[in-house]
Amino acid sequence: MNARWTILAGSPQHRTYKLVTWTLFALFVFLVAFAYVDVGSISIGDNTYNISLIRLNKAVAFAVAILGLQVVVGYTGQLALGQSFFFGMGAYIAAWLVADKDWPVLLTLLIVIPACFLVGVILGLPALRIKGLYLALVTLGMAQVFPSLVKLESLQDYTNGSGGKIADIGLEPPGWIPFDGIAEFLQGIPLLGGYFGDGPIPEKQEERLWKFFLFMLVAGICFWLVANLIKSRPGRAMRAVRDNETGAAVSGIDLAQTKTLAFGVASALGGVGGVIYVAELGIASPDDFTQLVAINFIVGLVVGGVGTLSGAAVGGLIIAIVPDWASGTQSVAFIPERWLQGPTGSVVLGILLIILTFFLAGGVVAGARRLKARIVQIVPQPPSGGSRPPVSTAVADDAADSTDSSTVEVG
Amino acid sequence: MTNRVLEVNGLEAGYGLIQVLHGIDFHVDEGEAVVILGANGAGKTTTLRAICGMIQTSGSVKLNGEEIIGAKSADIVRRGVAHVPQGRGTFPELSVEDNLEVGAYTRTDGEVEADMERWYETYPVLYQRRTQTAGSLSGGEQQMLAVARALMSRPSLLLLDEPSLGLAPLIVEDLFERFAALNKEQGTTLLVVEQNAQLALGIADRGYVLASGAIDVQGPADELINDDAIRRAYLGV
Amino acid sequence: MELFLQRLFDAVSNGSTYALVAVALVLIFKATTLINFAQGEMGMLGAFFALQLWLWGVPMWIALVLAMILSAILAAGIERVLIRPFDPADHLPLVIITLGLFLVINAVAAIVWRFDPRSFPNLFGDGNAISIGGANLGWYTVGTIITVVGVLVLLQLLLTRTKIGLAFRAVSSNLESSELVGIRVGPTLQFGWALAAAVGTLAAAVFVANPVRQLEPSIMLRVLIFAAAAAALGGLDSLWGAVVGGLSIGLVQSVIVQYLNQWFSFPTTMSLAAAVVVLMVVLLVKPAGLFGTAAVERV
Repeated sequence: MNARWTILAGSPQHRTYKLVTWTLFALFVFLVAFAYVDVGSISIGDNTYNISLIRLNKAVAFAVAILGLQVVVGYTGQLALGQSFFFGMGAYIAAWLVADKDWPVLLTLLIVIPACFLVGVILGLPALRIKGLYLALVTLGMAQVFPSLVKLESLQDYTNGSGGKIADIGLEPPGWIPFDGIAEFLQGIPLLGGYFGDGPIPEKQEERLWKFFLFMLVAGICFWLVANLIKSRPGRAMRAVRDNETGAAVSGIDLAQTKTLAFGVASALGGVGGVIYVAELGIASPDDFTQLVAINFIVGLVVGGVGTLSGAAVGGLIIAIVPDWASGTQSVAFIPERWLQGPTGSVVLGILLIILTFFLAGGVVAGARRLKARIVQIVPQPPSGGSRPPVSTAVADDAADSTDSSTVEVG
Repeated sequence: MTNRVLEVNGLEAGYGLIQVLHGIDFHVDEGEAVVILGANGAGKTTTLRAICGMIQTSGSVKLNGEEIIGAKSADIVRRGVAHVPQGRGTFPELSVEDNLEVGAYTRTDGEVEADMERWYETYPVLYQRRTQTAGSLSGGEQQMLAVARALMSRPSLLLLDEPSLGLAPLIVEDLFERFAALNKEQGTTLLVVEQNAQLALGIADRGYVLASGAIDVQGPADELINDDAIRRAYLGV
Repeated sequence: MELFLQRLFDAVSNGSTYALVAVALVLIFKATTLINFAQGEMGMLGAFFALQLWLWGVPMWIALVLAMILSAILAAGIERVLIRPFDPADHLPLVIITLGLFLVINAVAAIVWRFDPRSFPNLFGDGNAISIGGANLGWYTVGTIITVVGVLVLLQLLLTRTKIGLAFRAVSSNLESSELVGIRVGPTLQFGWALAAAVGTLAAAVFVANPVRQLEPSIMLRVLIFAAAAAALGGLDSLWGAVVGGLSIGLVQSVIVQYLNQWFSFPTTMSLAAAVVVLMVVLLVKPAGLFGTAAVERV
């Protein structure tokens, strides 16, 4: 428990610490984007691993959908697991608006968010009475219905059936961003410059980069909003419902309202994730929104860390990358090649899910926090004298993420 | 010399971080009826649960001279302890007959049928209702069933956890008469945990008073019943 | 009329499979108040075991019995290693474990046997037992009915006439008291899992033995939802309820949806949605189902 440094919550050092870590994080993301924009894949032995930005962009979409699961499962404790339904819904609405109504893709969020919120609330109404396992069952059932819904003949005009709805996204980077200049600058850095490729960035890659930053911005806003929601009064109500439903009810929390809000927010985030997904792929097809995708989101939720915001980001990254890398792995010592063909990614994800549930409740994020706690520890300020110090806000800042990891319900 | 069925020394037990029992000592001899009295939260139920290995414990619990602390509930039961938990602990979806049959689950001898007949004779109402589900019986009948079920295992020690709980006074009196008969006529060794001191001491040979997880007073039942402090604290006079 | 009869026969043959999978779900629910989301996949894996044994030259019915035993052993192992360490009252980790199993089993089957559909030997012979006008009652349908009834009778005997059956009923009725009468709860629940896996394997095999179907890794994905709806309708802790529920869901799928299609052009591909709706309505209106004893709402 003894950390190398301890920082008092709310103190100037704490503020500096947060500023520095977030800046470092942003810088890291920025550098990673430029470093990999040029690289399609790396090869280790006979295995090829894709690391291009496409994966990262998908990861961002997944992360936002998993963020929704965090709200409803992680923070409110309701086993509403059919997130692929809303992910698909957002994707299809966006694809339709872009393809048939010529909307700019990001503008579709104006329709997708309220639409998914509303549908989430409506489908969530029965869930006010259906609890636990049964809710899990019903919502997974809904997730399974989704592909056949979009293949319905009566929706053919909007969804284009099993062929998938193709949308020309057209997210071209504005001319004023000096991608090449930045690349040149980065390439000029001694020692590290080599990692940033050479020469100007091709146009196709510039678009990827632009999309990546755009998606990161949208996702960043989502994360920021949810972080605030969790700290707010309704957010506290959600956590109370999760920890002790009866207790919450007798403390005057409106269960129906709280749960409904959670369902709505979660569904809306699922929709936003779907929009990002379509904006990256340029097509919404039924096979991308199956029950397996819903389960993958759960994997992301659990492996990242239930009840943590950063867990959603980690989870998104994992479910975007693991299946891909697993199928890129064509030869491993001692394993016959035949066993490396097929959905090896699902095997890995399933095993990860089970192992984490056993050994690291709280997911990767909890593990990382344990490591971090050895280096830096944020301690709440002791109450001093009669006046109330501005502790509460600072503590709450941390509480939104860290106190929850201790009360996570995963085994 | 009488055989010591249960000997408890320095028993500590609790739930999670909360320690409930702070090292208690008591014993039960063969053929005795011993009662443990105490207010709500004194640790009475915890004591019985600790004996049966249902919670984390430390100290020493000897059953017929053998240490059983740390053993699994199922194994402790197999060694001859029968426990009628608070709230009776019947199997509500099973018929009365199946309940008795389950009671004899650990037995491999051929006399299960005969024992069942015996308890049907002792408690005829159970015979009348043998095909009904246990959940459909009245509270008093369920308590009788729970006791009969416990006895089906031919225990060397029967633990009763607040048998009077939630039953009407008349039914409670009837029940305790039956417990007395079990003890005196059938020779069943009893360890009863009760809040109803008057009734419990009435059928007991000896008693212990548990307060805040420690033995406060102990002695023969007829002394306890006349002890002023106990009269004030538990008998309401 | 003929059309109606034909649909009724189809309903019975589909419904029987749903009933069998529902029985498997009910067995595990009775034991652990848990819905095993991997039940369908475990059955699918068992059916592949049977197919593989048969391809190796083992007579079909023996292969099937061996596959049932294999899946039972596998399920017993799964219970011991992955389920027992968790607090049965805490659902989230258990749901997650069964979902993990779902992913792993589905993917492993796809890796071993690939995604191509394979025809499964016909268990009950070809042709029709009865033809009424244009409506045909195939031997396959007769076979499924006999299988369901046979399984239920055997299960009933096992649960009421044997010691382990008594222990199983006791544990599903009152876990703590079961320990207090000396029942070893762990192995008893393990027995429930093994039994459920055997029934699930039989269910999957019977399902794909239908001449119109083939065995492939994703074959049971949809079936699980139908079966869950069936189990909920019957009351999640009632075996005969599961059978009635299965047949009812079969009826919904093959008769009601067909007529909805005819009269209101309701798309037939929506039969799964119909099952989800049935599931939802049952849970809302009568959570204990038609024959369930206890209120199922344990959070």
